[in-house]
Amino acid sequence: MSERRDAVLVLGALGAGAAVPAIGSDYWTGFAITALMWIALAQSWSVFSGLSGYVSFGHVVFYGLGAYLVVATWDRLSPALSVPLAALAAAAFALAIGAPVLRVRGPYFVILSFGIAELVKFVVIAAEAAAGHASRLILRTPDLAALFYLMLALAAAATALAWAVRSTRLGHGLRAIREDEVAAETIGVPVARYKLAALALSAAVPGAVGGTMAMRATYFEPLQAFDPMVSFTMIAMAVIGGSDDLRGPVLGALVLVYLSELLWAGAPQLYMVILGALVLGFALFVPGGLCGRAGARRARPA
Amino acid sequence: MLETLAAGQLLFAALALGALYALVALGLNLVYGTMRLLNVAHGDLVMLGGYATYWAFAAAGIPPLAAVLLTASGGAALGAGAYRGLFRRLLAAPRATARIEANSLLAFFGLSVIVQNLAALAFTATPRGYEYLSGVVRIGEVAVTGGRLAAVALALALCAAVLAFLRRHVLGLAMRALVEQREAAAVVGVDIDRAQRASFVLGFGTAAVAGTLLSMTEQVSPFMGFPITIAAFVVVIMGGLGRIEGTLAAAFLLGAIETYGVALTSPTYRSILVYGLFVTVLLVRPQGLLGRRAIVR
Repeated sequence: MSERRDAVLVLGALGAGAAVPAIGSDYWTGFAITALMWIALAQSWSVFSGLSGYVSFGHVVFYGLGAYLVVATWDRLSPALSVPLAALAAAAFALAIGAPVLRVRGPYFVILSFGIAELVKFVVIAAEAAAGHASRLILRTPDLAALFYLMLALAAAATALAWAVRSTRLGHGLRAIREDEVAAETIGVPVARYKLAALALSAAVPGAVGGTMAMRATYFEPLQAFDPMVSFTMIAMAVIGGSDDLRGPVLGALVLVYLSELLWAGAPQLYMVILGALVLGFALFVPGGLCGRAGARRARPA
Repeated sequence: MLETLAAGQLLFAALALGALYALVALGLNLVYGTMRLLNVAHGDLVMLGGYATYWAFAAAGIPPLAAVLLTASGGAALGAGAYRGLFRRLLAAPRATARIEANSLLAFFGLSVIVQNLAALAFTATPRGYEYLSGVVRIGEVAVTGGRLAAVALALALCAAVLAFLRRHVLGLAMRALVEQREAAAVVGVDIDRAQRASFVLGFGTAAVAGTLLSMTEQVSPFMGFPITIAAFVVVIMGGLGRIEGTLAAAFLLGAIETYGVALTSPTYRSILVYGLFVTVLLVRPQGLLGRRAIVR
């Protein structure tokens, strides 16, 4: 099947990228970590939102909680323990909020997911303020190459997960929910269970990515760790590349990471204008994204 | 504590916030009622109205109370243009699915990001303010600046005017009919195109005026619109999507909850309060706490 070919292609490209720390400078290793982070995030987002059609505007909450957990336990737990724990905590949070949240559909789900992420952000800010922290510093973080390999593993894990979900009943069920949820329920798709499972699976990798990026930044500041622009950017990447295609989020991530590298330092507002225009254009006119498989299949309206 | 809560100053603050929310949320709800899509860029219209007022005052010496006419007509023209150029075509398309609606919401977020950053490029991120009617007026025990008093009075008057228009004027009735029963309205002969355009004109115009009024009491900045959009969302969702009276009630309710909530706790809890309310209302009753019946989509 072509999805297996895509998975092999993406995983092969990631494998080839493993050589970066050996041949490139620290600049390139750092750049690669950023690119891999976005690949992992956009790919994870597409597992839930790309397949189910429930557009999550709050995935940064999983990233932020992961970062918070790793930083808060820094003196007591080794990253070998706290990073997997961050993934588990993010998935557990998804399971905890999933049942009521996933009953809300369409545009209401979009703003609800955004609202939950903002609510958690402000609760964390208040909790940190009450504990006497404005931000936290962590010391003796792993070196750049170690962080690179960790992030590479997370990008590969997200891709493997995206492929695994697509090739099982879960993936087919989610696509059925996306096309027509009522019809899917009628033909026996366990709608509520599938949505919940997909959300939890899609939350795990962002949790670990958040923890890893906290080590890269060596500090934690809630406004940055829970920045809604992280949610917006992962959506933008998946939508530009194609959210129901294994190559799509990777392609979208590379396009935007490159664009950001070109413009962010010198003209951040111009970068944001272009990002906004890309999301506007793709969401309205090219819903299938650059990889376009989803668009082609939906060419004939139901 | 009780004396603080009973103070007229706090009551006035709640009323002022509620009046601003009412004006912004009324417009948002009208536009929502017309196209069944939440305009995420609505707060950015407030920001643009604020900048127009600032520049009119700083560059041309036009007093803000006269600039209201300028921003009102500018906002109205923008609404008419946006409707004609973009939304009429989108609205003519067959009934959208939930997925397409979610995608349109993303498109609006994209638009909002564009407008905010273009404003930051054009005006820089530095907040701008001006001195206007800054003398303090005393009404009983309440002390306010003249600008603030004028802004609140104007906001209340405008809300009343919009409500009267929607209840009495034939075009206002057509807009309400459109909001409540789109297909039925067309059947009984409501000019859908005209009513839709009027919703955009009124919605955009009131948002721009809200920007003028806000600039009289606060500084304007390129990213000020987003929190306003969020507050207006909370109001619209509490009051019921498409419900006009519910929106007014919810606006003053949110103004009071926010003002008294912050007074009782601390300003750091303001955002928790607003987003907590937002999430709770969406989870418990997506059709609105004060809504008469579900507008299920």
